[in-house]
Amino acid sequence: MNTLYYLILVPMVYIAFAIFIIGTTVRLINIFRTPKHPATLQVYPEKKPGWLWALHDTFLFPTVRRHKPLLWIFLMVFHICILLLILGHLELFGEIEILQFIPHEIFLGQGLVGLIASIALLYFLFRRFISPVRELSVPEDYYLLILLFLVVLFGSQMDWARRWYFYETVTVEQYREYLGSLLVLDPYLPDELTESGHSFMLVLHIFFANLFLIFFPFSQSMHSFLSLPVNKLRRG
Amino acid sequence: MMDEKTRDDLLKLFESKLNEAMRLYLETCTRCGVCTEACHVHASMGQVKYIAAYRAEIVRRLYKKYFKGRGKIWPSVGEARELSAMALDELYEAAYSCTGCRRCMVYCPFGIDTQMLMSIAKLLLVGAEMEPEILTLLADTSIEKGKSIDLFKESFMQGLKRLEDEVVSKWKLEAGETAIPVDVEGADLLYVALAGAHSIIPAAAIFNAAKENWTLSFFEAVNFGAFVGDPTKTKLILDRIVSEAKRLKVKEVCICECGTAYRVMKQLTGKQPFKVSSITEVHARYIREGRIKLDKTMVDGAVTYHDPCQIARNAGVIDEPRYILQHLTDDYRELTDEPRYNWCCGGGGGLVAMGEDTLDFRMKSASVKVDQVNATGATILATACENCHAQLSNLNDHYKMGVDVRFLSSMIADALIQS
Ligand code: SF4
Ligand code: SF4
Repeated sequence: MNTLYYLILVPMVYIAFAIFIIGTTVRLINIFRTPKHPATLQVYPEKKPGWLWALHDTFLFPTVRRHKPLLWIFLMVFHICILLLILGHLELFGEIEILQFIPHEIFLGQGLVGLIASIALLYFLFRRFISPVRELSVPEDYYLLILLFLVVLFGSQMDWARRWYFYETVTVEQYREYLGSLLVLDPYLPDELTESGHSFMLVLHIFFANLFLIFFPFSQSMHSFLSLPVNKLRRG
Repeated sequence: MMDEKTRDDLLKLFESKLNEAMRLYLETCTRCGVCTEACHVHASMGQVKYIAAYRAEIVRRLYKKYFKGRGKIWPSVGEARELSAMALDELYEAAYSCTGCRRCMVYCPFGIDTQMLMSIAKLLLVGAEMEPEILTLLADTSIEKGKSIDLFKESFMQGLKRLEDEVVSKWKLEAGETAIPVDVEGADLLYVALAGAHSIIPAAAIFNAAKENWTLSFFEAVNFGAFVGDPTKTKLILDRIVSEAKRLKVKEVCICECGTAYRVMKQLTGKQPFKVSSITEVHARYIREGRIKLDKTMVDGAVTYHDPCQIARNAGVIDEPRYILQHLTDDYRELTDEPRYNWCCGGGGGLVAMGEDTLDFRMKSASVKVDQVNATGATILATACENCHAQLSNLNDHYKMGVDVRFLSSMIADALIQS
């Protein structure tokens, strides 16, 4: 068991991050290395400045708000949750001063953000089972949603388990030790992390997250990096 | 069955289309379905295969198979697909039921350009010799004409002679003026028309009324190469006009009422010593500068205007026709609150040029357009594109809409005030 835990928490994390970072970079370079389209691909009437409107389109999804308002609410909520969760995880590496303007223990949302994100993910998933989105969807679309759902679910359960079942032996300190050691390439697994009553959640959380990161560069998740440049084409 | 060699050749064609924009469009779709309601074909006929993303996915599946590493390791995850005879049939169905109107681009959160993606399908069909023959034939004729201009010159001039009286009947000339000047070196404006008289007579009358120093091009504006999705032919057809413009040293090339011709000319010529305008822009300019005056009493009844997709949404000529119409009527009615949401007429992408073969589909796929026009209660349906005009006229007959489908330029020519 401990070997399995170790494999997931250490080597697999390295592999996942390597694939994620190298894969994404190489794929982006490959895309942007190809020649530009010789003509404009704008849609008119145009609004200036184009780059500002492209940012607006990328981060606020105005076309979805207009045509699919319910989907838009879930999309907004989901993407904001993802941002918050990324910030929260950064705090697991070290104190981030400005984030403490609301004094809090990590995670600020205490599992709530994850819960909301998983509800949004369920919505996206069920949407895919209904025509016409069902006919448009391909397996990768479902896999990604399920994977993310599992990641978020076990992630937020850790937070609940810690408080509800008093698995308080695990604190931010242990995470910082663990993640910090990974960062300096001198991996160290504090016993509290692997021997607490909810360790299996941590392991599953990281396992699914690893899978997600490995798949990321090759999937439509790349839209997180490509949305801005592709929106820029429409705005000219 | 498709042999190895054919497939490789087709994949080379595919690869030739993979520039940065195309890759972005191929990689980004999340199959969210927001574009579902965007396509007039889907809105009119209801089948899922007419949703923009569904068409795009047919091209994308081939991309996933041959141009993504994933296609070798785990093709099923993206439903990657072999390039087979059946795939070609699907490409045909997808590409030749899409008019390239880019309305779906207005809906998509990423702005994925389905017309661009369909251009891959069209090129593969050309490679497999499965494209609509008539389009290639027309494209080849245009190119031939560019090569051996002297052969055509004589009959062309003869034809023009017959039109001159009609031009003069719309606008009387002063002594020494030519009704339809051709081959004038140093003219300010080169007008590129279509073969029909309707594309030359009103335009000529208006140029003469505005005292334009103009000359008529030997060539037709329409670019069949673009319709059939053949980049080489598109370029050759374009180049005929570019070299004529350079030879005559004109300052401006003015494209007649033809959407694709205008967009291709405007956006694909690159930097040139002349500027490219649509005839609608030129007419708006004449009115603004007081070079022509129009008589509103010549237009009888409420008017609505159909924005040709390739001129408005895809090339930005939106305010000019409305400005012109203000000078033609007091009862102008918009089809949509926002022009970029205008429904396509249903005739673009070469469908009208394919004639009778596509008539049934064109009528069925554009019922939303008919509803949109009917809702305005207008009796005159103006537009500024040959294709749109033909398709709207077909719709008018088929659905008994009872409107008068007019070219904007001919409405202007009829309303010219000769003082
Ligand atoms: S709206 Fe755009 S991203 Fe969504 S399915 Fe349609 S083409 Fe794909
Ligand atoms: S470009 Fe026009 S015809 Fe083609 S899929 Fe989009 S909306 Fe439909």
